[in-house]
Amino acid sequence: MADVGNRDQSITKVPMIYVCGECHKENEIKPRDPIRCRECGYRIMYKKRTKRCILFNSDNSI
Amino acid sequence: MDEKIAEVNKKNIEWENTKGLREPIKALEDKWKLVPSFLQVKGLVKQHIDSFNYFINVEIKKIVQANEKVFCDADPLFYIKYLNAYVGTPDLEEGFNVTKAATPHECRLRDMTYSAPITVDIEYIRGNQRVIKNKQLIGRMPLMLRSSNCVLTNKSDFELAQLNECPHDPGGYFIIRGQEKVILIQEQLSKNRMIVDEFKGAIQCQVTSSTHEKKTRTNVIVKNGKYVMRHNALSDDIPIAVAFKAMGICTDQEIMQLVGSDDAIAKKMAPCIMECHNLKIFTQNQALAYIGSKLKVKRFQTANTKARTPIDEARDLLATTILAHVTVENFNFYVKAIYLAIMVKRVIEAENNKSAIDDPDYYGNKRLELAGSLLSLMFEDLFKRFNWELKSIADKIIPKVKAAPFDVVKHMRPDLIANGLFTAISSGNWTIKRFKMERHGVTQVLSRLSYISALGMMTRVNSQFEKTRKVSGPRSLQPSQWGMLCPSDTPEGEGCGLVKNLALMTHITTDSSEEPISRLACNSGVEDVRLLGGEEINHPAVYIVFLNGNILGVTRQYKKLIKIFRMFRRRGLISSFVSIYPNHNQRTVYICSDGGRLCRPYIIVEKGNPLVQQVHINELNRGIRKFQDFLNDGLIEYLDVNEENDSHIATVEAEIDPYVTTHLEIEPFTILGVCAGLVPYPHHNQSPRNTYQCAMGKQAMGTIGYNQKNRIDTLMYNLVYPQCPMVKTKTIELTNFDKLPAGQNATVAVMSYSGYDIEDALILNRASIDRGYGRCLVYKSAKTTMKRYSNQTSDRILGPSKDATTGKVIKAHDILDSDGIAAPGEMVENRQVLINKQMPPATINPIAQGQQQQQIEYKEVPVTYKGPVESYIERVMVSANAEDAFLIKILLRQTRIPEIGDKFSSRHGQKGVTGLIVQQEDMPFNDRGICPDMIMNPHGFPSRMTVGKTIELLAGKAGLMEGKFHYGTAFGGSKVRDVCNELEKHGYNYHGKDIFYSGITGEPLEAYIYSGPVYYQKLKHMVQDKMHARARGPRAVLTRQPTEGRSRDGGLRLGEMERDCLIGYGASMLLMERLMLASDAFSADICGACGRLASRAWCHACRSSAAVSAVEMPYACKLLFQELASMNIVPKLTLKKYC
Repeated sequence: MADVGNRDQSITKVPMIYVCGECHKENEIKPRDPIRCRECGYRIMYKKRTKRCILFNSDNSI
Repeated sequence: MDEKIAEVNKKNIEWENTKGLREPIKALEDKWKLVPSFLQVKGLVKQHIDSFNYFINVEIKKIVQANEKVFCDADPLFYIKYLNAYVGTPDLEEGFNVTKAATPHECRLRDMTYSAPITVDIEYIRGNQRVIKNKQLIGRMPLMLRSSNCVLTNKSDFELAQLNECPHDPGGYFIIRGQEKVILIQEQLSKNRMIVDEFKGAIQCQVTSSTHEKKTRTNVIVKNGKYVMRHNALSDDIPIAVAFKAMGICTDQEIMQLVGSDDAIAKKMAPCIMECHNLKIFTQNQALAYIGSKLKVKRFQTANTKARTPIDEARDLLATTILAHVTVENFNFYVKAIYLAIMVKRVIEAENNKSAIDDPDYYGNKRLELAGSLLSLMFEDLFKRFNWELKSIADKIIPKVKAAPFDVVKHMRPDLIANGLFTAISSGNWTIKRFKMERHGVTQVLSRLSYISALGMMTRVNSQFEKTRKVSGPRSLQPSQWGMLCPSDTPEGEGCGLVKNLALMTHITTDSSEEPISRLACNSGVEDVRLLGGEEINHPAVYIVFLNGNILGVTRQYKKLIKIFRMFRRRGLISSFVSIYPNHNQRTVYICSDGGRLCRPYIIVEKGNPLVQQVHINELNRGIRKFQDFLNDGLIEYLDVNEENDSHIATVEAEIDPYVTTHLEIEPFTILGVCAGLVPYPHHNQSPRNTYQCAMGKQAMGTIGYNQKNRIDTLMYNLVYPQCPMVKTKTIELTNFDKLPAGQNATVAVMSYSGYDIEDALILNRASIDRGYGRCLVYKSAKTTMKRYSNQTSDRILGPSKDATTGKVIKAHDILDSDGIAAPGEMVENRQVLINKQMPPATINPIAQGQQQQQIEYKEVPVTYKGPVESYIERVMVSANAEDAFLIKILLRQTRIPEIGDKFSSRHGQKGVTGLIVQQEDMPFNDRGICPDMIMNPHGFPSRMTVGKTIELLAGKAGLMEGKFHYGTAFGGSKVRDVCNELEKHGYNYHGKDIFYSGITGEPLEAYIYSGPVYYQKLKHMVQDKMHARARGPRAVLTRQPTEGRSRDGGLRLGEMERDCLIGYGASMLLMERLMLASDAFSADICGACGRLASRAWCHACRSSAAVSAVEMPYACKLLFQELASMNIVPKLTLKKYC
């Protein structure tokens, strides 16, 4: 499927923001960078919540 | 025994009142508070932790000391000597010898191993210097959580919370590569003890000797009316008289005196003596030569073995291999000969009196192996291999001339011991070559379905018996299990009675030193057996004293000896886990200090009075007295199974007989284990129902721990609104089940409603469900790592792909962020990609590629979501694992609402599925307007006889009115009469029945309905995980038949029995359709002339296509023909026109 898309653009070197699991500081980490908090050196990061609006579809609930 | 105690006690009591005038002993108030006090220091998982602590603090040093020196053949001056060994605190390697303190939670999340370095102090030769190096790393030890070196020990709840750990988590397990592993308790026959049993009609006395070096088995058996000694190292049985002569007991008189000189024994022994004479063996040398000729030929002949004569070999064998645990110094076999004589005597006794045969199922003859002892076996094996490797490296390198002197420290690889221990725990395969031990399934993944399932796993006892064997002995409930192992908690089916669980107050001993015990024994009148002849040893007034299976000596006053020992133990002068008990038939006294014995505490009773008085309990309540103080003051003592059987134990105060009673039970409910302890009023239930509940309690959803929201498990079930049960038990409070509950109190009406409640189906109230009843969270996790490969390539993750024509992100990649990982909070549907991972092909030559890196065609290996119902992404974790590769874990969440087919169960083994969900308007309601959450069919009661459930309902209902919890503790709890009175006080029917009105017609129902709250558990079996249907779908490659199983979207099998029905009915075309057309129909070309398979309408055998016709047949049939043909069997078909 991905063959169709222009792959060169999809490997973006745009850094993503991850949140440290220990000190909750936001870290900008580029792909292939080691995962380590700049503040406390903790090695577990969590992704931030999506910016998209998530609507709860009440039809699905029952 | 009883009379003897009575005799002593009678004298003491004479000055007191006579029995009839004695005041009845008052039952102690709050005596049960001793149980939580006990659980603070021992019990439940503490035995795992104690055993592991003993291993890392004591045993490991002993093992290193036992193998302390390593020499090498190349240089006689070279040596390594281990001075000491330590296990450190847990840490993680952060590359380049940098370490960081580890927490268990981080290890779980990052798939690492929670381990600590093993360091040693060594002294060795470098060049020609003697060097001492301290703190040399030789391996890593997986750490048990809450063991002495764990970061969690002695932490407050707040500190634990900071470490992301639940304060109620029991610990006692390991974290290996992110997985929680438990080393199950293994049950086996005790080592170094004589066991007399009947094997194929012949009586034999068996001893499994186990020392640090060897594990051997020696038998004395009856063969043709004569006694022989049998051992694996010997090719033939050795006549017992020959064995005695080989041990230096050369005269027949001495032999007879050792075995026993009374007529009965003499008669039995005469043929053996005769046999020895017939063999013309009179001296020790002749006997040794005879044994030497029966030695099994060794496969590997080394220079050492050749130099020795068979006589030497035989002498060596007798000294070190046969009855290896009886030590022989300077080839003085006298003690071993006495031991052998006792074995013969036991066999003779058993021949005369069948009741002298030991029961191998008796728990006094069993030992439980815990994590510590299993790990010590494994560690010793690995340590020996480590030393052997060092030696062979030294052998190789020392002869070479080098600039720098040979430094053995540089060749110490810590990963040998580390990986050896890690793989053993993670695979559960315990292979120890030197003992020829090969065990599988020693460890299991800690089940985290609920808090109770995790706790229940820590108390599980596995026995070594084969599960397939059809014997009832080891499976049935043994009376000696009383109080030690739970009588209810065992699985149904193949593991029934073989897998057991510890009771609440059981403790398993660890090894304690023998030295002070043997010294005390000698000081209290035990005489050395080596100074005595056979006649003295076998004198009827004399008792032989054994210490851990070895002969310690003889005593003339065994009562005094036992009394002194018990006194010393109660004073705390010897370990409280040392047990001493006599066996009057064998005229022996056994003293045990070995590890693995089951024991539990009892209140000591003296002169008919329990030593624990109300003042002590009050002090306990005020917190100024702890369990250890009761032990120290000699008010309570531990008894193991053997000593328990030498005591007279009263269950309650009223049972105390001042003349005989020696001990008092602390609380009767402690005979049950953790899982059975959850059942309210279990003493009112039919026993198998409690067993069923024990199995189901482990499947109940609820809370796992306070840290459940921080965990990323592959599968986790949580209840949205868990409740503490209305009817508690003491065990519930002791195990903290009330703080981590798994269930909800449903208002149940016991009545019939519609037809959807047959066969245990339940009717649920829609409105209750909408209010959150039975609502659960199901967490699943997806995980991947970004590996690096040896050819300089690595996995990669791409951002979302776009459609070439529209330029929009394709549907499958809809939820991906620009980093190619799904974003938290998004909804995931079937087949959507969570991680867009790609893998380089395996065959890339980095040199040839050079600059053409861009050209590599990566293979797509995305992590996708599968499931009929969508999930939400709860959390995405990015980290690095032990190999420093990227590790991505995605936690997916579903909120599930009860639906028809979901399984519920009360705490009385009464499971049922939801049969119908009814609108509240249609539900019946009572005169107070209360509408039940659940309707249960009354047919569930008569045959199940779960009276406990009806009482739970009653007590729960009364508790609601009073605003308090009632107790349904086993053999106690709130009385039905009191509960009913309470109900009546609040204006309810005395019997718990209410008037109900039909929700449909509004008419009052014709019967009073028994209704009230019952604690219901939602079990993990839900329709959503089971629903499955298929019309067309994937097929297996080989047979072209539909695949099997829901996970592979498999077909629904029309099995043999269904087939039989169709055959019986004669529906041939339906059969044809089901078995062939709907499965693997295949049009095969068959040559009518030769009857064989043709290919493409051409028969290769006949070289013609004239007679070839297409025949419809199952593909599996065609495959069979081809397979047969490949084996030179020619199946031929005869074709006929059928219409």
